[in-house]
Amino acid sequence: MNEELIIGIDLGTTNSLVGVVDSGFPMILADEQGQRLTPSVVAFPENGQPLVGREAMRAANISSQRSVGSIKRFIGRRFSQLSEEEIHEAGFPIESSKNDGILVRIDESTTLSPEQVSALILARLKAIAEAALEETVSQAVITVPAYFSNSQREATKRAAESAGLTVARIVNEPTAAALAYGLDKLEENQTVAVYDFGGGTFDLSILQMRNGLFEVISTAGDTQLGGDDLDRVILEKVASELALGELTPDEYATLKALAREAKEALSESEEHTLRLPFFRGEKSYEFVLSRSGMEATIAPIVERTRSICQRAFAEAKNKGSGEVDHLILVGGSTRVPLVQRQLEEWFALPPNLSQHPDEAVALGAAIQAGILCGRVRNVVLVDVTPLSLGIETFGGLMNVIIPRNTTIPTKAGELFTNAVDGQESMAIRILQGERELSKDNWLLGEIHIPFKPGRKGSARVGVQFALDQNGILEVLVRDTETGEDHVLEIRDSAVDVDDEAVEKMVTESIDHAFDDMNERVWTEAKLKSEELLPAVASALELIGEELPGDDIEKIRAAAAEVSRLVGKEPHDAVALKKANQVLDDATQTLAALLIDMAYSGASGSD
Amino acid sequence: MTNLFDVLDLPQSLLVEPSSVDSAWDRATRSQHPDVSESERDDAAVSDANQARSVLSDPTSRLEHWLTLRGVEARRDQSISPELMDLFTKLNPVLTDADSVISRLQKASTALAKAMLAKEAANVQLRIQEILGKIMAMKLAVTERFEEFEKAGDYSSASEGLGQLKFLKKWEQQGQAKLIALLGL
Repeated sequence: MNEELIIGIDLGTTNSLVGVVDSGFPMILADEQGQRLTPSVVAFPENGQPLVGREAMRAANISSQRSVGSIKRFIGRRFSQLSEEEIHEAGFPIESSKNDGILVRIDESTTLSPEQVSALILARLKAIAEAALEETVSQAVITVPAYFSNSQREATKRAAESAGLTVARIVNEPTAAALAYGLDKLEENQTVAVYDFGGGTFDLSILQMRNGLFEVISTAGDTQLGGDDLDRVILEKVASELALGELTPDEYATLKALAREAKEALSESEEHTLRLPFFRGEKSYEFVLSRSGMEATIAPIVERTRSICQRAFAEAKNKGSGEVDHLILVGGSTRVPLVQRQLEEWFALPPNLSQHPDEAVALGAAIQAGILCGRVRNVVLVDVTPLSLGIETFGGLMNVIIPRNTTIPTKAGELFTNAVDGQESMAIRILQGERELSKDNWLLGEIHIPFKPGRKGSARVGVQFALDQNGILEVLVRDTETGEDHVLEIRDSAVDVDDEAVEKMVTESIDHAFDDMNERVWTEAKLKSEELLPAVASALELIGEELPGDDIEKIRAAAAEVSRLVGKEPHDAVALKKANQVLDDATQTLAALLIDMAYSGASGSD
Repeated sequence: MTNLFDVLDLPQSLLVEPSSVDSAWDRATRSQHPDVSESERDDAAVSDANQARSVLSDPTSRLEHWLTLRGVEARRDQSISPELMDLFTKLNPVLTDADSVISRLQKASTALAKAMLAKEAANVQLRIQEILGKIMAMKLAVTERFEEFEKAGDYSSASEGLGQLKFLKKWEQQGQAKLIALLGL
């Protein structure tokens, strides 16, 4: 047990908070201006120190190029994992490091890793806490999205260390929110689901609370789905309605801020006007967005959370958990009325809005910090691992060693043997994820298992895979003679490659990428057209008469345009991509109708 | 071999109820958990308790552990009962159909293309659920014999029961995995 003070930090995509337990109660600490929310934005003025939070936001208004927001979307990931859209929509220039890491370019001579940017935010939170508490702080509990992988957790931990904070525990955000919800209900027994829809990530966790024991049963999520995506689709709608064409990075940033404002305003009112004065030279624009118009735009994004929820509910049920008593909403994006309405409709549970959407996670982090330093008693938190852990086997398949939703800490052993005479070691790739093929999962790194020289099959080495309470992996190998365990290093294969060779590889791949780009976009677009056109024809034949005539006309016109472009020479990739999008949009109602019919028909024959 | 019944301080019986496993785990977790225990952090003890609960709450792994503690291994040579064979011949085409729908759903990139497959998906879900119901009933038939396994003079019927349960558990997991995969699409 640790007696030294520990703070709790919610390091969010959009905003961050810091809290502590005082006299048994968790509280959020405010900065010098009395603000509890620190925007997760860092600005780098041309002359001077980096700015964090509100000051950085003000600087960003002057030059968006030298400021960085939503960095959490990039932490612990590889450059090759990013989609073109992610790079384009980041709002700041991103490039690959020599070993496939991500770098943010501030100016010609400066680049920073997402870890370094996060460290600046964490250092600011540490300073806020120290000023408020009037003592130095060196330990913290930090929350991460439940669905964060091993690499993302490790990167967050390293960021804290560079900010001068030892990580006492990594806690999953929805679990932290459940602690905040349950702290005053310790005598009760309940099963709760926490729906955590934040700025950049989404998680759903199901927990059982039994007399102060908080046990996570199942969790599911998407680390690339959040309020940012709602803003993006609103932006896209506005840009296309106003026919703005290609946007420069500065224009994109301005519009994104307006889209976010509109989203927030429309949570309260029925109509909102987006104003773009002198947007392009003398040209000004105005666009009126209604709440229903916005809801139609964001509905597909909200819908994506549904299947994730269903998965967590199904797994909880398979593990023998009973009905969910309460559905607790946290995260800024749960303020959107459509989200609340949909949840009630999907799960027939009235959303529980008792928790402050921005503060519940930080309060939970503070409570866990309080548990660890002895300020909170009789509360125990038990979590699960969100992703299956495995190793690559022959044929590039993933062999699961610790399945997802296993209670942590946990361990699992595997026995390895030499396949040929005199083999000295064996390389094993460690993976995390749910896909069958190893290439579709996260590669955590490689371990090298040492063998005593001998005949084929004579060496037997026991390897233990242990997940600690932070959800972080440690691999131990047992020396059969001494019985001692040694930690095996998990080597990130990309790091060891010769620098010059990597640089060449990177330049080459960029050159090729530009050559292929148009052809690649065309091939993708054409595949989509080939999927859509026959589907449209048979869907219209099947249930065309159910749709209003106007809709059918719209669909037929959109389909005709797609067919025309597919046959056109030379290939116009961009036009085909757009035409596909129009057809895709026009057929949404048709798609919804088909799904309704399929499921009502199926349950009818039950 | 760690005796997992001992880890949770439970009687070494096949008839132990999942609810008593849960409350034993609760007790162990509260007293041993490094966050609250006064002693040094002991991840190994907590890991053991977690493993014990996961093994003992599931009838198949409980029976297997119980037999292992008695030095008995699952029989590999046993003949498959006609009921199991019958179930298997019904299960296989359903799983194949599920895989086919799942892979087509994964490939479909538009809402309309996915919707065109919705009827087929709903249908295959129903068929999986039906089979899962059968599997559950057959599992129950074996677990109802646990008392008889304990009282028997030798372990042959218990070992045979374990063989059956292992098949049923594997198929149950396959079915559940397909259902969850279909949910995510």
